[in-house]
Amino acid sequence: MNPTLSKRSEQNPERVGTRRTFQPLVDVFESKDELLVLADLPGVSKDAVTVNVEGGQLTIEARRTEKWPGQAEPLDFEYQRAFMLPKGIDASKIDAELKAGVLRVRLPKSEPHKPRRIEVKAS
Amino acid sequence: MWTRFTDFDRSWTVFDELRRQMDRVWDDFEPSWTEPRRHAWNDAGPRFDLFDTGAEIVVRADVPGLSEKDFDISLNENVLVIAGERKTKAPEGYSVHRQERPAYKFSRSITLPIKVNPELASAVAKDGVLTIKIAKAAEAQPRRISVKAQDQG
Repeated sequence: MNPTLSKRSEQNPERVGTRRTFQPLVDVFESKDELLVLADLPGVSKDAVTVNVEGGQLTIEARRTEKWPGQAEPLDFEYQRAFMLPKGIDASKIDAELKAGVLRVRLPKSEPHKPRRIEVKAS
Repeated sequence: MWTRFTDFDRSWTVFDELRRQMDRVWDDFEPSWTEPRRHAWNDAGPRFDLFDTGAEIVVRADVPGLSEKDFDISLNENVLVIAGERKTKAPEGYSVHRQERPAYKFSRSITLPIKVNPELASAVAKDGVLTIKIAKAAEAQPRRISVKAQDQG
């Protein structure tokens, strides 16, 4: 059995959910000290976003809900994006901040670390 | 396409790209007030939604990264003009691996469908969403007609 085929469901970061999912637009910049990831997440507040690092992969997930009078159904969908991190990122020092609907994730360069949940600060 | 890592998966990227291009064809034919769009912007800046909630007109747009002071909003009779600019350059000392977030400079004129009261208008940008609410003019407010029952003989 081709090992690549059987491992696909574990490696494939896409989730099958009941909500519509969109990939947010993302910029990735690099300086000598860190990687910087900026994601457009309009309409998302701090409580609705999670940033996870596991197995060298950075995952950004956020839920957006909006209700307007006169709408048949409220807006309710998810943003989701995942990236493989290059070796040399210190996962314990990853920092995430959400401001005006833009998520900034700073990934300082160093040795890779074990899986961690990143706290998102509001700004 | 960004999530295809193994060689096996990469052979599917051709189809991903084809599917993406096919999806894009439909974007021009399917604007809808309630459906979230994959991209809330076009080349001329953010796309605006216009709602009528009964008592007011609501204009909103996805503007991540911007706050109220980044906009120049004016209302003249029933024409709303919104101007703004967004920059997305990499900070000093950073090289660019990927740049998807659009930069734009725009000025949009929206003719409101109903007479409005410019004294009662507000503009708020929260979490990257600009919401402009303008109360309808008194004569344009919806009126409820109360139905009185006839006395049954």
